[in-house]
Amino acid sequence: MLETTQWINDYFDESSDAIMIFKDTQLIVSNHMAKELQDELKMNPQYLVEIADSSAKQKFSSTDDCFNCIIQNKMKQISIPITLAKEMPHPLPYFMIYNVIDSEKHVFSLTLKSRGTINRMDQLAQQRKLTQYVNRAYEDERKRISEDLHDSIAQGVYSAIMGVRRLNDSEVSQDEIKKLTEVIQSQLNDTLTEVKRMALDVRPSVLDSFGLLAALRVLAKRLQENSGVTIDVIGNADTSGLSSDIQSVFYRIAQEAINNALKHANAEEISILLVSHNHFITLEVIDDGDGFDVPAHQTFNGHSLGLMNMNERVKALNGAFNIKSVKNEGTTVTVKFPIA
Amino acid sequence: MNPEQPNNLSEYQYDYQRIVDQIYQKEDFDFVGIAMQSQAPPHSIKWSFVAGNSNERFRKIVLRSGIGIAGLVIRTGKPFWDNDLTNYEYSSKMYTPIAQSERLQTAAAVPITNNLGLIDGVLLAGYHTNTTVSNQTAQILSQYL
Repeated sequence: MLETTQWINDYFDESSDAIMIFKDTQLIVSNHMAKELQDELKMNPQYLVEIADSSAKQKFSSTDDCFNCIIQNKMKQISIPITLAKEMPHPLPYFMIYNVIDSEKHVFSLTLKSRGTINRMDQLAQQRKLTQYVNRAYEDERKRISEDLHDSIAQGVYSAIMGVRRLNDSEVSQDEIKKLTEVIQSQLNDTLTEVKRMALDVRPSVLDSFGLLAALRVLAKRLQENSGVTIDVIGNADTSGLSSDIQSVFYRIAQEAINNALKHANAEEISILLVSHNHFITLEVIDDGDGFDVPAHQTFNGHSLGLMNMNERVKALNGAFNIKSVKNEGTTVTVKFPIA
Repeated sequence: MNPEQPNNLSEYQYDYQRIVDQIYQKEDFDFVGIAMQSQAPPHSIKWSFVAGNSNERFRKIVLRSGIGIAGLVIRTGKPFWDNDLTNYEYSSKMYTPIAQSERLQTAAAVPITNNLGLIDGVLLAGYHTNTTVSNQTAQILSQYL
């Protein structure tokens, strides 16, 4: 029992958060970190109490000028963003958490958590989610390819084999042979189209042999044929000097942005602009669809990790990524890369 | 007449535009269309004859065998119908571009076969509203061919 108390004491004292316990606005106990902040940053505990008090009143404006009333409001906790060492060259951002310990005796605690740590944790969590998303997308892609191979390609080839087998049947009339030949030909034709489509989906060889603009044109033509939505590619950019990494990112973003527009936006027309300037090159994908609320899609909601992933890929190559969207007017996705 | 019909029209036994117009007038469909496979490579299948269209997007669509209800008719040679066309995502195998561009909620499609018994095209008719289509709808359509 004694040992346990010692552990709790140690934990309290060694915590990386600064913890202070007050009774009736008088500081009773504080841990090591709190004392350090007090000494080094000239942090005044009374000042913190005032901040907590006023922010509690802001939230519960009906209360009178007393702590009791706040406690009566059954408020257990409030967090307040606060910056310490404002005058110094490196201000320190903190979250202050106000917590009632004993409402009868007016005992409460103030805890200062470094926002730097919290931000880092957030970033880490975000990074993990993104990694998970990329891995899942990768697996989904393989699954889709596997299904396509099985359903379309294997099926087509199998039907053609059956057809050829029947051709050898001695009882088949000349007329039927003619018909069968046509059937087999059309099956193989379909299969060929399908193989080409899949190859294009996996990695557009045009991109390697004829450059980004040609690849975008092929992509636009195919997606236009699949959807009926007009997709234009406009551009003069000479992309031969771009690294293949940047070309790939441009291509994938165009692909993702067009797919998004087709999936969600009900667009009538999509334009892709690839323009080179003196020291940078930009890609814009503009649709005239429904538009959406960009900030709402920038956090995690399961669907928008695609956007975040685009952003990450661009940032990794020193580019800039931007989405502008207006409800009922459309969406513009812009990617910009510096060039030498 | 639609300017984008296949060049070798003489090979067709019927005047497909007349059939499409006839169905559109006599039945209560909101949209009627026939897609034919081109005789020349790459043998693409396009909506060559339509009635009741609300825009020109159909001209740009190239049917994919096995994808969407019209594509399934082409692949299998059997009639297909669907009463919830708005339900499919762009990446779905049942995504039917013509249903999307013409805002069709329900539609039925039947194959068009040539004198060799091969599938040459597809006849599709559908509704903007939630009007149920069935095997019977497909049979009605087949009677016009």
